[in-house]
Amino acid sequence: MSSCRNEQDRETMNCAEFQEKLPELFESGVDVSKDPHVKSCENCAALVRDLEYIASQAKLLLPIHDPSPKVWENIQSAIRGDEGNKEPVGASKRL
Amino acid sequence: MNLAMPSGTGSGLTEASKYGTFKNGRVRMNADPHPAKPVQHMRRNPPIEGEAEAISRAQAGDARAFETLYALHKRRVYSLCLRMLGNVAEAEDLTQEAFLQLYRKIGTFRGDSAFSTWLHRLAVNVVLMHLRKKGLPQVSLEETLEPSQDDGPRKDIGERDLMLSGSLDRVALERAVENLPPGYRLVFVLHDVEGYEHNEIAEMLDCSIGNSKSQLHKARMKLRDLLRSGERKESLV
Repeated sequence: MSSCRNEQDRETMNCAEFQEKLPELFESGVDVSKDPHVKSCENCAALVRDLEYIASQAKLLLPIHDPSPKVWENIQSAIRGDEGNKEPVGASKRL
Repeated sequence: MNLAMPSGTGSGLTEASKYGTFKNGRVRMNADPHPAKPVQHMRRNPPIEGEAEAISRAQAGDARAFETLYALHKRRVYSLCLRMLGNVAEAEDLTQEAFLQLYRKIGTFRGDSAFSTWLHRLAVNVVLMHLRKKGLPQVSLEETLEPSQDDGPRKDIGERDLMLSGSLDRVALERAVENLPPGYRLVFVLHDVEGYEHNEIAEMLDCSIGNSKSQLHKARMKLRDLLRSGERKESLV
């Protein structure tokens, strides 16, 4: 009942009202492309497709790559400084 | 949640960059207008095999275990730093600093949250401290996470040049992400790229879940603007 009323409400929404609701709709896990307003509004349908597309493409961005080996060397060196110990942080050494 | 904050993040910090004001080494956002909701997307931060044992051993002072943790997490921490800084040298410096803080603080990790979340929180704070130290003009925190009208996304009402072409490549998206205001960029990278959930991001940034969701939506809207303007420019060439 309440869900039907929500759908009816969205059918009568204008674009500004729909776009205000959009973050909530995305986070609710519903298929936003099936929203009554989206079905009747080409502009908001394109917006929804674009935002979904951006989110899906973002998942492809990881990983970049490893930092250079110098980073770990510097960490070891700084740890040695912390510990006041001249020996490297080695495999069998306790920190 | 009883997470220890990394050292060196300061307390009572009031200085800011154009990226905003941070208190107690953390970003603060507005009050949460929305209650927490269940997880919506597949988790991309599953437990890593051998990690729990490495943490215990590193906490006991085992150097090899710490090296294992570095090997397991260096890429993601570096990726976060590089995406936030856009500069390899700075990103490597901050990766180094984040792991040094890990070394100094790992004894305080209690397992209340995922280790990866805890480590990222530490790294995020290192990044934010660095941005602040760059001495950029001081503005309010709200502008960090609520960029000005000029910077922020706009509503898309009545526009007629519709969708992205569907041929968005990684380079274009990376470039657009680089051009996001830092507050938007951080939440977008943590959620959409790194796969953290809003409750984890809220914990990392010491903000509300509602604000994390709101920032993410604004980030995606802004990215769309940036990508579409890029496509328009390309079509004119």
